[in-house]
Amino acid sequence: MNHWLSLIVAAPAIAAACLLVLKPDQKLAIRLVSLVGATVALIGSLVVAATYDRALGGFQMLESYPLVPSYGIHLKLAVDGWGVALLILTGIIIFTGVLASWSVPKRDKEFFLLLLVLVSGVFGVFVSQDLFVFFLFYEIAVLPMYLLIGIWGASHDVRAAGPFKYVWKRFAVGGKEYAAMKLTLMLLVGSAAVLVAMLMLWASPGVQTFDLQALERASFSHTTQMWAFPLLWLGFGSLAGVFPFHTWSPDGHASAPTAVSMLHAGVLMKLGAFGVMRIGMVLVPDAAATWAPIVGTVAVINILYGAFCAASQTDLKYIVAYSSVSHMGVVMLGAATMTPNGWNGAVYQMFAHGIMTGLFFALVGLVYERAHTRAIAKMGGFAHPMPVVAAFFTLACLSSLGLPGTAGFVAEFLVFVGAAQSQHWWWTIPGVLGAFVTAVYVLRACKTIFWGPVPQGEYAHLADARKTEWAAPLVLGSALVLFGFWPRFLLDSIDGASATFLQRVTTVAEVSK
Amino acid sequence: MNDPIFLAALALFVPIAAALFLLVAAPVRHRGAPAAGVCVTASVVALAAAVRLVFVHAAQGDARWTTTWISAAGKPIAEVGLHLDGASVSMLAVVCLVALCVQVFSVAYMHDEPPRGYGRYFSFHALFLFSMNLFVLAPNLLQAFAGWELVGLTSYLLIGFYFAKPSAAKAAVKAFWMTKLADMGFLFGLLWLFVATGSFEWTTKLAPEVAVGVTLLFFLAVVGKSAQFPLHIWLPDAMEGPTPVSALLHAATMVAAGVFLVVRADPLFAQADATREVMLWIGSFTAVFAACLALVQRDIKKVLAYSTCSQLGYMVAALGAGSAFAGYFHLGTHAFFKALLFLAAGSVIHAVHSNDLADMGGLRKKMPLTTLTFVIGALSLAGIPGFAGFFSKDLVLATLEGRANWIPWAMLMGAAFLTAFYMGRVVCMTFFGALSHKAEHAHEAPLWMSGPLLVLAVPSVGAGFLGGWLAHSLGAHYETHVGLTPIVASTMAIAGLLGSIAIYGRRRDASVAGAIERLDKASMVDRAWELGYRRALLGVSGLLGWFDRYVIDGLMNFTGYTTIEAGAAVRGAQTGRMRHYLVAVVVGAVLLALMGLL
Repeated sequence: MNHWLSLIVAAPAIAAACLLVLKPDQKLAIRLVSLVGATVALIGSLVVAATYDRALGGFQMLESYPLVPSYGIHLKLAVDGWGVALLILTGIIIFTGVLASWSVPKRDKEFFLLLLVLVSGVFGVFVSQDLFVFFLFYEIAVLPMYLLIGIWGASHDVRAAGPFKYVWKRFAVGGKEYAAMKLTLMLLVGSAAVLVAMLMLWASPGVQTFDLQALERASFSHTTQMWAFPLLWLGFGSLAGVFPFHTWSPDGHASAPTAVSMLHAGVLMKLGAFGVMRIGMVLVPDAAATWAPIVGTVAVINILYGAFCAASQTDLKYIVAYSSVSHMGVVMLGAATMTPNGWNGAVYQMFAHGIMTGLFFALVGLVYERAHTRAIAKMGGFAHPMPVVAAFFTLACLSSLGLPGTAGFVAEFLVFVGAAQSQHWWWTIPGVLGAFVTAVYVLRACKTIFWGPVPQGEYAHLADARKTEWAAPLVLGSALVLFGFWPRFLLDSIDGASATFLQRVTTVAEVSK
Repeated sequence: MNDPIFLAALALFVPIAAALFLLVAAPVRHRGAPAAGVCVTASVVALAAAVRLVFVHAAQGDARWTTTWISAAGKPIAEVGLHLDGASVSMLAVVCLVALCVQVFSVAYMHDEPPRGYGRYFSFHALFLFSMNLFVLAPNLLQAFAGWELVGLTSYLLIGFYFAKPSAAKAAVKAFWMTKLADMGFLFGLLWLFVATGSFEWTTKLAPEVAVGVTLLFFLAVVGKSAQFPLHIWLPDAMEGPTPVSALLHAATMVAAGVFLVVRADPLFAQADATREVMLWIGSFTAVFAACLALVQRDIKKVLAYSTCSQLGYMVAALGAGSAFAGYFHLGTHAFFKALLFLAAGSVIHAVHSNDLADMGGLRKKMPLTTLTFVIGALSLAGIPGFAGFFSKDLVLATLEGRANWIPWAMLMGAAFLTAFYMGRVVCMTFFGALSHKAEHAHEAPLWMSGPLLVLAVPSVGAGFLGGWLAHSLGAHYETHVGLTPIVASTMAIAGLLGSIAIYGRRRDASVAGAIERLDKASMVDRAWELGYRRALLGVSGLLGWFDRYVIDGLMNFTGYTTIEAGAAVRGAQTGRMRHYLVAVVVGAVLLALMGLL
């Protein structure tokens, strides 16, 4: 029994604890301690990925400590093929995220502390094998966002209009406090739904355990399943940006500071999708199969609707945020297909989109920091002063539109193959159309911002990426290409886990028939 | 050095190694000239390997190497690798040869670029060669799709090379969007094929309706990539890129990828007669339509661009008529003479600093070598007997001869006349007549530019004689014969040439030109797409964006608002006065008691 998993989960939290003893003006020390915590977690993830036995598959590196044994609660950690991919994703994003927030303007200590605590929670979710602990980590990951956006965020105005114009009387729509509040409340409602479903499962006759493997073996009554699945789908789904519960995402991501957007769109949204698949579909497969047509149909709405909304935005961060809504639809579509290709694609899309959107937000942060505007109409010709940013932004765009040779293609393609093989082949039509609309809005943004004559006036001397700012583009950009050309690094282990889970889903479905 | 797989791998991976090196080694790229050296060296290696491969393949026959790329549920679903047969080996050699010529030409042509731009230009070229070879050597349709999209990417990057120019930026994005729109067909075709057969192989047996559906979808992608009506509008705009790029990507190789795809997937298309019928008509129509538009262009590159559309129409028509070999043969000869024409035009543009035919004239004395090579290319394109273009065009026409419906044959014959006519016009206006004002200081191109012209001139004349060999390596049958088609075709070509000389030989521009200018219907097609983009796509997105902000999110805000208002309303009950609470307690107790009694 080795302790890599507990190390990965604990490292950021320990670093956060160390930050407590530092003084606020020890700026470099604060950053270095955070970086060490993130690096240890990243290295740990890579070690886990390297030592995970693909041929054997299943759950490995099991660690178990009793927490509240009388209620069947254990701190039980183990990793499977999905976990491997998502651990690496989280490791990469927090490592680059810390480096990207080197220039946090105020309250650095608290900022890094919250960031690290949040990441510990994320790591915890991906390796928990106990539903109670899973939920605990899930909440740890979600709640620091409230402060991170409310304190370090940025506000902007949203014009009062539409049928609900009068709500502007009470809310400063577009403000950072508003965004933080909306995000937290919507996600908490989701958590409440998840909690209800969790307790329903626990209270089923003869269960009384939170152990995931035990829950997988349990068979729940039809009624329990039919109630639990929608609760889990919408509960976790609110974090995955499932339509129509996605509206926290554009405002939240647009208001959040760079590293927080990177983490939130890059990793946290994946927690939602991971929850739907790992808890919802695997624990209550009967109901999942019944609900799959609805899940998939909502997912294709997400894809097309998100893409069209993104095409109408004029604020750079909103474009990227809506593109996340659209791309998370691809994840949910893959999940709904209930086929090996679709599930592999869904998990791969979690990874690919996480890297891609992390890169996007890092670069958008750089542009915003220099140009002090996010309105793309005001920009133009930025490739002249900042060629590196332009090149990596183009790469992110290409992955976003699913160009072969980038990780985005592998993921989207697998999801579409899965959709075509499912009983609802028509899902591929809005799916592929969404990819086309994505090509329209990302390339248009890229053209408006970076191409055109040499900028004059206040934008004439924008600086390109410097020092620590290189980290995010370099690491994330090479990951996109590497995993685009040679997906088997991750896909083989993902495939092992998908196959095991799907086997269970199909056998249970057959037995109950 | 006799392992065909090794040679093919060399041709594939040396260019990508060069591209990656240039990407990582920024100092080399930023200095410009060394980057050109790296890129050209890589292409030389690739060409040497490709040429060697032609001989090795002739001796050893077909070869194939694959490895698993993606697997699902433990079983491989997609492979990548190298597939060597007559078509891929010969295409590889053509691609590498034209690419090398174009790169060498660019060394001098792009000389005035700042070093950073120069380096960037050559790194894109290395990436292009890799992408194109990835496509050509693909063992299945999935890898072909990857190469197909990557050449689209390099096309986008190279059209937008002068990204400071708004028109270039617009053209690059437009090219990407148009081809991406068409590529949805490729993707749907792949998905359908996979669901039907469980593989992405070039050769599988399909149910009749599946065959028609899948091939029609693939053909949609071909219409986009090979600039067929009505998706051709991106190609003339793509001339915003540097001229050597137009020669390589937008004339000789990348746009021909669509034709090569059909040649490759011939076993699939052979099962779908309906698709072939569609191809026949779209190809023939594009051949005539684009030739008409080529007549009236004032920009020398746009004449050649429309001419490319038109010639690709010939190839598509041949494929539609069921002769993959005829289409492929014309692809090969066209690659040489069209690259030659574009490079020679580049040499002219370099000399007079203008694309406008009105700024040219009388250049034959100033630039004899360019004139000679351009005329060779023009004669070959016009299909004058003896030149390469004659043989391949003749074969295309012969394939159509004797079909029950003679209209496509007649359309292509008409296009042959127009081709000779517009090429004659360009030659007259550029090289003959009085010396124009801008041409006064023109002088012959340096050796770096004229060398590639001479190299390309050789196959532009002689490649026609390779038809027999090419047919043999593709397992097709080919022989030249005297019959109705060659006689009519050569008459058409000669008549077209003489007609244009009669009209344009003396005068600079004629009233005839004014009359046919009304033919310029392209702007209509263009405008239709523009409207579709602005009104439909952006219109819907604007509507949905508003809906999301003010209705969907409005509902969320409404929920929060109502909760707060409800709280404020109920708050009135908490007065803090003891007697109010006492009343409530008593009323409650009475109500409970009543409920108990009932």
